[in-house]
Amino acid sequence: MTKKTLEIYSVELSGTKDIQQTDKGNGKEKYRGLKNCFEPRKNHYKEELRKEVDLDDHKLSIKELEKKYDTNIITGLSSTQAAELLARNGPNALTPPKETPEIIKFLKQMVGGFSILLWIGAILCWIAYGIQYSMNTSSSLDNVYLGCVLALVVILTGIFAYYQEAKSTNIMATFNKMIPQQALVIRDSEKMTIPAEELVVGDIVEIRGGDRIPADIRLLSVQGCKVDNSSLTGESEPQPRSSEFTHDSPLETKNIGFYSTTCLEGTATGMVINTGDRTIIGQIASLASGVGNEKTPIAIEIQHFVHIVAGVAVSIGILFFIIAVSLKYQVLDSIIFLIGIIVANVPEGLLATVTVTLSLTAKRMAKKNCLVKNLEAVETLGSTSIICSDKTGTLTQNRMTVAHLWFDNQIFIADTSEDHSNQVFDQSSGTWASLSKIITLCNRAEFSPGQESVPIMKRVVVGDASETALLKFSEVILGDVMEIRKRNHKVAEIPFNSTNKFQLSIHKTDDPNDQRFLLVMKGAPERILEKCSTIMVNGQKQPLDKNTAEAFHTAYMELGGLGERVLGFCHLYLPADEFPETYTFDVDTMNFPTSNLCFVGLLSMIDPPRSTVPDAVTKCRSAGIKVIMVTGDHPITAKAIAKSVGIISANSETVEDIAKRLHIAVEQVNKRDAKAAVVTGMELKDMSPEQLDELLTNYSEIVFARTSPQQKLIIVEGCQRQNAVVAVTGDGVNDSPALKKADIGIAMGIAGSDAAKNAADMILLDDNFASIVTGVEEGRLIFDNLKKTIAYTLTKNIAELCPFLIYIIVGLPLPIGTITILFIDLGTDIIPSIALAYEKAESDIMNRKPRHKKKDRLVNQQLAIYSYLHIGLMQAVGAFVAYFTVYAQEGFKPSILINIRVEWEDSNVNDLEDSYGQQWTWYQRKYLEWMGYTAFFVGIMVQQIADLIIRKTRRNSIFQQGLFRPQYWFVAVPFAILIWVYDEVRKLFIRLYPGSWWDKNMYY
Amino acid sequence: MVIQKEKKSCGQVVEEWKEFVWNPRTHQFMGRTGTSWAFILLFYLVFYGFLTAMFTLTMWVMLQTVSDHTPKYQDRLATPGLMIRPKTENLDVIVNVSDSESWDQHVQKLNKFLEPYNDSIQAQKNDVCRPGRYYEQPDNGVLNYPKRACQFNRTQLGDCSGIGDPTHYGYSTGQPCVFIKMNRVINFYAGANQSMNVTCVGKRDEDAENLGNFVMFPANGNIDLMYFPYYGKKFHVNYTQPLVAVKFLNVTPNVEVNVECRVNAANIATDDERDKFAGRVAFKLRVNKT
Repeated sequence: MTKKTLEIYSVELSGTKDIQQTDKGNGKEKYRGLKNCFEPRKNHYKEELRKEVDLDDHKLSIKELEKKYDTNIITGLSSTQAAELLARNGPNALTPPKETPEIIKFLKQMVGGFSILLWIGAILCWIAYGIQYSMNTSSSLDNVYLGCVLALVVILTGIFAYYQEAKSTNIMATFNKMIPQQALVIRDSEKMTIPAEELVVGDIVEIRGGDRIPADIRLLSVQGCKVDNSSLTGESEPQPRSSEFTHDSPLETKNIGFYSTTCLEGTATGMVINTGDRTIIGQIASLASGVGNEKTPIAIEIQHFVHIVAGVAVSIGILFFIIAVSLKYQVLDSIIFLIGIIVANVPEGLLATVTVTLSLTAKRMAKKNCLVKNLEAVETLGSTSIICSDKTGTLTQNRMTVAHLWFDNQIFIADTSEDHSNQVFDQSSGTWASLSKIITLCNRAEFSPGQESVPIMKRVVVGDASETALLKFSEVILGDVMEIRKRNHKVAEIPFNSTNKFQLSIHKTDDPNDQRFLLVMKGAPERILEKCSTIMVNGQKQPLDKNTAEAFHTAYMELGGLGERVLGFCHLYLPADEFPETYTFDVDTMNFPTSNLCFVGLLSMIDPPRSTVPDAVTKCRSAGIKVIMVTGDHPITAKAIAKSVGIISANSETVEDIAKRLHIAVEQVNKRDAKAAVVTGMELKDMSPEQLDELLTNYSEIVFARTSPQQKLIIVEGCQRQNAVVAVTGDGVNDSPALKKADIGIAMGIAGSDAAKNAADMILLDDNFASIVTGVEEGRLIFDNLKKTIAYTLTKNIAELCPFLIYIIVGLPLPIGTITILFIDLGTDIIPSIALAYEKAESDIMNRKPRHKKKDRLVNQQLAIYSYLHIGLMQAVGAFVAYFTVYAQEGFKPSILINIRVEWEDSNVNDLEDSYGQQWTWYQRKYLEWMGYTAFFVGIMVQQIADLIIRKTRRNSIFQQGLFRPQYWFVAVPFAILIWVYDEVRKLFIRLYPGSWWDKNMYY
Repeated sequence: MVIQKEKKSCGQVVEEWKEFVWNPRTHQFMGRTGTSWAFILLFYLVFYGFLTAMFTLTMWVMLQTVSDHTPKYQDRLATPGLMIRPKTENLDVIVNVSDSESWDQHVQKLNKFLEPYNDSIQAQKNDVCRPGRYYEQPDNGVLNYPKRACQFNRTQLGDCSGIGDPTHYGYSTGQPCVFIKMNRVINFYAGANQSMNVTCVGKRDEDAENLGNFVMFPANGNIDLMYFPYYGKKFHVNYTQPLVAVKFLNVTPNVEVNVECRVNAANIATDDERDKFAGRVAFKLRVNKT
C-alpha cells in the first residue's frame, strides 16, 4: 500500500529517493485519506507512473535521442512524420476531466429530489385509471390527465434544473477558452509557427524568454535560460536550465523543461519528449481528478430536507392508506387518496426555487469578482469556517516592492500601497542622490515598449522581480529612468550570478565636466559590505569603522527580520587618470577595482500585502472564520506578511516569540500561552495526524511556511477532521488536489492555472482575498434566506394536506383538488418564494460564528414544527372556514357535510338533499365542489400573503426590516377610481343609446 | 475527508434508544426533561385551545350570516333536476317477471316511498288547494310558520298507486311503474305560471320502438302549479312533492331500453350539455321474460 502511495506522489515530490527515506515511516499514516480516494484507480496510475519513472531521456546524448525519436536536431521532423505521430499520439493538450454525459446529468435531474415521489404519484394515477378501466370501460380520464400533469411537472422542473446547471457550466466553458498557444518548431529544415496542440514527440522547438514551454522537452542548447517551475513544484524561485544532465531524477535535472512552465529569460532549443497527458503536468492533472469531490454542505442540507419531507409524505401516505382501507374504502379510492397526500406534501416548486435563488446569488457574486462554477458552492462559502489562503498574489500584490531604505544611519519607510503614490521619506540628502543613481543604473530591467499611458505600477517589465521593483521605484521617484540611463552610458556590466552574488556596471556620468567613470554595484548586503572601505553619510564619504559596520548590521537584521529581501548598494568613481575615457573594460579579466568601494545604503523589498486584505482578515475574524496562511515562502517572510495583514494579530505571540522575550529555551515555554504558530513544511512532515489536529485546535493563528503543495492537502484534511468547512485558495497545477479536496476550492482568475481553475468550485477574478469575504457574506445571506424560502413553502403543505386527511376520516366533499394544489405549488407560490432570496440581512451576519456543519441545519426541527404545526395549521383552519362558508351559503351547512362523501360523489344520486330540503343533481354538486376548491385555494393564498410577510424576518419586527412604504400604495388610487367611473359611464351610455355613435365606437 | 462511519453494533443501537427514551443522567424522557415536557404540553394545550376557539368563533359568526329560512345563494340550482323512483344503483330498472326477488326490493322501496302520499295522511295534514295556481304563502312582515302544503293523494297515481294492487306496481306482470319527481328548489316558481308536464321517450329510434306504449298518472304527466313554490324543509312542514308515474305497458322483453323523461316547463331548460339531469332524467329499463 505504501509503495503505491509513494508512486503516486513521486510525481509531485522532488526526488523519488527522498521520499522513500523520509516517508517510509509515517507516509502511510499521512496519506491514509488519499489512499482511499485513489484506490479505485490505482492500477491506472501505477501504469502511467511507471512510464514516468522510466523517463531517461535526460540521460541520453543528443545522438541517442535523435535515434530514439527518429528525428534530426537540425532539420527537425518531416511534416509527414509529424502528421503520422500526431495521428498516433493525439494532440498535445490535456484531456479535460471526464465529463458526465449530458444525458446522465439530465436523467439525474429527473429522478433526484422529490421527482421520484412524483413519479410514484403519476404511476399510481395510471394504475388507478387501469383499475377503473378494467371495472368500467367508460370511466373518466381524470386520473390519466393528473398522471400526465405530474409527469410533466417532474420533467419541466428537471429540464429547468438541468438548464440552470448547464448555464453555469457554460460560463466556465467560455472562461476556459484561452488564446491558443503557439510554438516555434523546426520541421522540414524550416522554422515555422504552429499551434502548440500539433506538437509531436521528436519535434525540435525553440523557446524564448516569456514563452510557455509547449510540451515536456529535453533541452539541447541553452543560452541563459531560466524557468519558473512554480506551477509544477510551487517554488517560485527561477531555476536555471542547461543542456547538461545534472541529476538522476528527471524532475531535478537541468536539461528538461516541463510543459506549462514558463521560460523567464534566455533562449533554448529542445526536443519534445512527451506531449499532452503523458507530460508530467498531465499526470498530475489526472491525479487531481481522482480526488473525490466532497458533497457541498448545501447539497447535504437539501438532501436532509428532502428526506424529512419525503419521510413525512410517505409515512402519512401509508398511514392513511391503511386507515382508508380499514375504513372499508375501496383500494382504488385509497390509491387516489395516496396520490393526493403525496402531491399535497411535496413542495414541487421548491427545488427549482432553490436553484433560481442560488443562481441569482451566483450572478451577484460574479459581479463582485467571485465566479461560481458550482451553484451549490455559493452557500458553501457562507458556511466556511477555515480559509487556507495562499500568500503570494492572494494576500499580497504579487510583485516585489521597495519597502524600506537605509542610508545615513536611518531606516526610511517607502510607500508600498498599490500605486506607490505617496513617497514621504527624506530625499534631500546627498546620499539619496547617489543611492538613487545606483538604483537606476545598476539595473537591467526595462519597461516593455508602448506603455506610456499605463500607470507605472501596472506596466509590464522585462526582468526579474527585484529589478522590476527597483525600476518601478526609481521611475516613480526620479521620472524617466531610461532617459537617465541613456545619459549615463553603460560601458561594461557583470550581471548577477549566484557565485558572485552581486551585479556591477560601469557608466559614463551625465556630468560633462566629470570625466570619471562611475562603477555601481548592488548585491547581497554582506558581500557588498566586504568590498567597501568607506561609507557615505549625508553625502560625505566616511571611513567604514566598527560603529558604522555595527549600525549596518543592526539595520540589516531588522529589515531581514521583517521578512524582506535586502540588497546593498555601493559605488566608486574611478579615478580619471587611471581610467581615461578610452579605457576598455573587460568583464572577464576584471581590469577595474571591485574592492575599497563606498557603501551607500541598503534597500529592502517585499511583496507587500494588498491594501484591502487586513480589513478582510478582520472581517473574517469577527465572522468566526479562521484564516490560515499556507505558503511556500520563507517562515520569516510569511510571518511578517501574516502580521501585517492581521493573520497573526498584533498582540499574539508564537512560542518562539515568548522564548525570545523571556530569554528561555523554546522547550520551556508553556505552549498554551502562545496563540499563534508558524509551522514549516519540515516540521509538518514529522507530525502525526493527531499532532496536526492538536496544532489546528490549539492555535487560533497559524501560518504554514515552506510547505509543498501536497502538504496543503494534508492541512486541508486536518481542518476537515475538525468538522470545519474549509475553503482553499490556490493557483498552481499542484494545488489542484487540495482545491478538489477542500469543501470549496477557490482558484485565482489571473494567476491561476487551468488545472487549478478546473479543480476549483469558484474563481476569484481579481485574485483578491477581500473578494472571498464578500462571497462569505453572500453565502451566509443566502443560507438565511433559503431558510425563509423553505419555511414559507412548507407552511402551505399542511393546508394542502389537511383536506385529504379530513376528507378520508370525516367524509366531507373534497375541499381542494390535486390540480389546484399543483397550481399553488408551481404557480402562485413560486415568485414570492424567489423574492425572499432578495431579502436583506436582518443583522450583521458577518458578526456571527460560521454555522456548524452538523448542528445548524437548513431545515431544523424548529423550522419544521413551526411551519407545519403552528402556522400551517392556522392556515388550514382558515382555509376550512372559507370552505365551510361557501357550502353553508349555498345550502349545505357543516353538520350535513359529515359523511356525505359517498352519496356526494355518486353520479347516480341526482336528488341529494341539502340542509334546506333542496335537492341537487350530481353536476350541481360538482360545481359547488369546484367553488369549494376555489374558496380553499383563495383561503390559502390570502394567508400565504401573511405568511410571506412574516417570513421576511426571523427575529426582527417586520417594521424594523421595512416594507414598501404604505403611502405609496395609495398614490394611484384616484386613477383607479377614474378608470372605474369612466367605464361605468361608458356602459351607461351604451345601454341608454343602443346603436348610437357612442355604442358603435365604445362597445367591444 | 475520510468519513469515519463507525458501524454501530446492534447492542449499541438498543443502548442509544434506551438512553433516548430515558436518560438517567439528565433525567430526560424522549430527549426532554419533565419541565420541558410540561411546558411543551401546556404550550400546545393553550395554542390549540386558542386555535379551536378561534375556529369555533369564526364558524359561529359565519353561521349567523346564514338564515334558517332560505340559503344565501341558489345560483347552482337555476334548473331543478329530475329523478326516478325506484332508485337503483345505476339508474336501471330491471324486472325479472318470474323472479319475484328481483323486483321485491323495488316494491318495498316504493311502498315506503309512497306511504306519506296515502290519502288519509294527506287529508289529515295537508290542504286542498286550487289547481293551476301557485300556492303562495308570503310572510308579509310576520313569520308565517308553519306553511301549509297541498295534498297529493296516492290515488291520483291511478294504476301505479299500488293500492290493493296484486301486480305490485306492475312488476309482477312486466308492466312496471316508474315514478318521476322534480328536485325541490326553494322559492322556485316552476312553469312560470303556465302548465307543465313530463314526457318520456326512447332515447334512440330503436329504444322508441322497444319502449312500446305507456300511460302516465296524473294524466299527461301533468305537474300542478299548486305544489310550488317550496319554502324549505324547516317552514314547509309536510310538503308533498308532486309525482308523475309512468306505467310501461308493453316493453319489448329481454332488451335494454334507454328511456329519457323531461319536464316541459317554460322556465326549465332541459338542454344543459354538462348536467345530464337538469330538467330531465335518463334511465334504463329492462323487462326479462322467459
